[in-house]
Amino acid sequence: MAATIRALRQPLWLRLTSASALSLWLLVAAFPIFWITMMSVKVPLDAFADGPLEVIFGPRTLAAGKGLTILDLLGYGLFLLAAGRAAMRWLPRAVPSLSLFGVRVLGWLIGLMAVVLGVWIGGVFVLPALLGALNGALGLDPLIGFTAEHYRSVWIGRDFWQNFLNSMQVTLGVTVISLTCGTLAGYALARSGSNIAFWLLILALIFRALPHSVLVTGYLPVFINSAEILRPILGDNAPTLYGQPLAVIAVLVAINQPFTIWMLRSFFLNIPADLDEAARVDGCTHFQAFRWVIMPVMWPGIITTGLFSFLLGYNDFLVTSLLLDQSNMTMVPAIASFFNRETTTTDQVQAVAAAVSITAPLFLLVMVFQRQIVSGLTQGAVKG
Amino acid sequence: MFFRKIALAGAFALMGSTAMAACAFQNEVPVKSLSAGFEAWKAVTDAMAECGNFSAELDQEFKTKQPEAFAARPSLYQIGGVANETIVPLVNAGTIRPLDDLVAKYGQNLQPGQLIKIDGQTMAIAMMVNTQHLMYRKDILDELGIAVPTTYDELLAAAEQIKASGKVEYPLGGTYKAGWNLAQDFVNMFMGSGQPLVNDDGTANVNNETGVTTLEMMKALSAYMDPEFLGADSTVVQQQFQQGRIAMANFWASRGSAMDDPAESQVVGKVAGAPTPSIVDGGAPATTLWWDGIVIARNISDEEADAAFRVAMEGLDSEMVAANNDDAVWLIQGYQPGAMAQAAIATASTNPPPVSYPSTTAQGLMHGAIGSQAAAFFTGDKSAEDTLAAIEAEYATAAAEAGIVN
Amino acid sequence: MRTRTFAWFVAPSVAMMLVFIAFPLVSVLVQSFTLTQPVIESVTVETCTPSFVGQNCIQETRRQPVLDENGAIVTQTRFVGLDNYATLVEPGRALASLGSLNLDGLLAIDFWRALRFTLYFTLITLPLILVVGLGLALAVNNVTRAVRGPVIFVTLLPFIITPVIGALAIRWLFVGDGILTRLLEHWSGRDIFMFAQAWTIELLMMFYRVWHVAPFAFVIFYAGLQGVNKDAVEAALIDGASRLQRLRYIVIPHLMPLIVFVALIHLMDAYRVFEEVIGFRSEAYVISLQYLTYDLLMPDNTGNRAINRASASSMLTMIGIVILLIPLLRHTWRQHRETR
Repeated sequence: MAATIRALRQPLWLRLTSASALSLWLLVAAFPIFWITMMSVKVPLDAFADGPLEVIFGPRTLAAGKGLTILDLLGYGLFLLAAGRAAMRWLPRAVPSLSLFGVRVLGWLIGLMAVVLGVWIGGVFVLPALLGALNGALGLDPLIGFTAEHYRSVWIGRDFWQNFLNSMQVTLGVTVISLTCGTLAGYALARSGSNIAFWLLILALIFRALPHSVLVTGYLPVFINSAEILRPILGDNAPTLYGQPLAVIAVLVAINQPFTIWMLRSFFLNIPADLDEAARVDGCTHFQAFRWVIMPVMWPGIITTGLFSFLLGYNDFLVTSLLLDQSNMTMVPAIASFFNRETTTTDQVQAVAAAVSITAPLFLLVMVFQRQIVSGLTQGAVKG
Repeated sequence: MFFRKIALAGAFALMGSTAMAACAFQNEVPVKSLSAGFEAWKAVTDAMAECGNFSAELDQEFKTKQPEAFAARPSLYQIGGVANETIVPLVNAGTIRPLDDLVAKYGQNLQPGQLIKIDGQTMAIAMMVNTQHLMYRKDILDELGIAVPTTYDELLAAAEQIKASGKVEYPLGGTYKAGWNLAQDFVNMFMGSGQPLVNDDGTANVNNETGVTTLEMMKALSAYMDPEFLGADSTVVQQQFQQGRIAMANFWASRGSAMDDPAESQVVGKVAGAPTPSIVDGGAPATTLWWDGIVIARNISDEEADAAFRVAMEGLDSEMVAANNDDAVWLIQGYQPGAMAQAAIATASTNPPPVSYPSTTAQGLMHGAIGSQAAAFFTGDKSAEDTLAAIEAEYATAAAEAGIVN
Repeated sequence: MRTRTFAWFVAPSVAMMLVFIAFPLVSVLVQSFTLTQPVIESVTVETCTPSFVGQNCIQETRRQPVLDENGAIVTQTRFVGLDNYATLVEPGRALASLGSLNLDGLLAIDFWRALRFTLYFTLITLPLILVVGLGLALAVNNVTRAVRGPVIFVTLLPFIITPVIGALAIRWLFVGDGILTRLLEHWSGRDIFMFAQAWTIELLMMFYRVWHVAPFAFVIFYAGLQGVNKDAVEAALIDGASRLQRLRYIVIPHLMPLIVFVALIHLMDAYRVFEEVIGFRSEAYVISLQYLTYDLLMPDNTGNRAINRASASSMLTMIGIVILLIPLLRHTWRQHRETR
């Protein structure tokens, strides 16, 4: 055994190459996001300045009296580290004790809320007040330019919080419905060896190949006129589907179904068929076997697939921008409205701030669920 | 509603009759509008909202949604925000109503120039005009002793002089982003030579001497621009101006006030405006006149139309202009043109005057064909003649598909 | 599983796909073979537009659709066979250029220009993504457990970021005198304009796509690596297999289904490349098939759209994807036959 381990240990040069290649990648992966974050906390003159150092240190932002002292940097840095640790370490462990009525989903939700609330209250109210007082007492001068004004004008001035709530509504709807339909179909496809099942899968793949722009522009006139079209059937209660989050959720679920059922099918293929067959012998129907035998063991696969559904719903631009009206607009198309015929430089920096704001919840999500995603995939959510 | 009234009454009591832009009547009929989302529309719809029961959709995709939404029965919106081009599908489909009786009833404060008439009927109420005129760095031109160019040849000479002086690396800016922007600059210059882009029989009129001259002049100008000019829209050009990277551009009037915004601009007070240069000495300025305004849907009840028009009039009143004077070149009573707007007005009032952008289906198709094909000339992939032939062919295909030529 | 039970289980999913994808798909197919036109009449009218000195009135000829008594536009739809496809592909001109080996002539046609880039883009990014993804998976697998969590987190960032925003972020780094362009200029000692010629834009677009999708390949492969059979590795060690041999004969075959899966998803997504064209403003230099469809489909400012040609273009895009997928689908079919 010891010999194997020694033989598996890699020579130094290999470990060095691998580590430095990985470090390079981490730099490449994180840099663009780091950079737009830097831009978003500077006044427009600094954000689009010529010199990179000006973008980082923000002399004009500093000149306007907005900046962070060394103490601020330390304080916020430690706070972010602590928040990251809470999300990655504390939360997954705390879930069982937070699961009300034994429902794990509730546990996750409560835990997530707690982290978000903690970060929000700590980062927006407690810490600035505390550090401000300390800086005043110590008489420290700001070191690098920093202003939260763009975030303020995006979230409050441009009502981005409304878009945030809309995004949550659409994304959660897409994830839940997509997983519900997908799990049932994926299970059936995994357990049926028939040719119909195979061709259904292939058909789903071909559906996935259809360009979305064609689909969406096809829906638009139908959705806008749906009240008139449906009136003969539904009477005067016929809804106008255009602008309705539910209609958009349905469209996104349909677009996402092929990927979902492919993933879940291969996940179910990896759960031994003996398991549910034994239950069937005991007199369960297929559905009962699914409910009592399969459902308890399918969560890792569901979480992984769910994350992909979440990303699709959250990141979608084409469908949401055309089929939602202003009051129901989600965050990504809302950013597009920052870019119009008369976009100023300030608008652009606000768009950057909005872009960072959009990315933040995804950060948190991956931080929290990263372990679950990998373990879900490891347990076979993808087997080709 | 009650509290709102109390609050308003309170506000009035406090402020007396100062410029508090409040609505003159209490609107009881729900009214919705759909328009583009830039600053001027925000100002106008905010003013409309003061009448109550009003909601505004400021949507980037409005031009895709408007024709469908206005064709629905009933129309999803009562008020639409349109411009020269975007009114065309609504007029064609007959989904907006003539406004003459409403103007007679509620339009006492409108200027005659605000009425957009098609075949004798008022179909829209314009609120602002826009045009591209010459903006230049006064300090640079003064220092080098260059007179403000009045023709494009003079502009080229001035650009050469500035470049040689080393003041800025790229003297010119231009909204040359492939697609709509590039086509707009082509249209400006082509129509500035006095010819239409589309003949009366619906065929194209680009593949000719004027077309070649236009393309070649544009290419000559582009030699003085930042090499990434095929991605430059008005936001980019504005930023180039603000950062002091360019010295001259034929640029949208509505962008003028941003040059003097100290939060964004490093050239506050240094950028001046002048009428657009012409192609030949003494000719019309090589630019087109644009307007933005409102329309009222046809597929709604007369009562709704009545309310919608009254709300719209409140949005387009002098109080709104007083509060948002620099957001646009307004056509509305009470507007005080700033320095930059005066250059736009001077451009519009030259003799011979610049042409209005032709709002027809054929022109839209031509604009699209130029937008998708002209870039090949600037990338060096095609000669001027081949490019014009490609534009002509693209237009012919699209026009045949649209049924406007056989 | 009996067919009836099967049907109940798949019904919600299939119903969704039928209503929202299959039905539109059929209508796209039909539209690609037909041409719908309004009936046009020519009228001469006086139009008046604003100016600062009174009004600007001109006589102009408008070609406008005829309206019926309900106020709706009168349209005619007729079957045109493959005409829409021919307008797009221009087979005569394309063949003539091919015949005279004039590639520039072929690429002067928008469809072929778009197809050329789409194919290059798809086929060049595919191996890059597989290699980078696999490399990352192996490298992360080497890292000590303590930092593995944060490393996986950072690695996944480019994948989760909203595509439109990712493309914009990369553009801001390079456009004009963006920080990375400055870095390149510093190294090469020349003025560089990343967005002023086709090949640099193409390079950036591919770089962006690899940056965005490699983490997806990584996480799938990384999960797969956790399941590599330890016994097989030990047996290979005893047989004296080198590191490379172990990778070649044990790890890769183990990951093969995953590689096929990633390739399948990537081929489909890359062939529909679109965000990059908009995000990098490459329309002047490079266009893709999906962009061509989008451009035809979106109404211009006067409301014109070439919906029939767009339908033909999207059918051609789908056919292209299916052709690319055939080898992978055959693999899946064989697997299906074996498992039965």
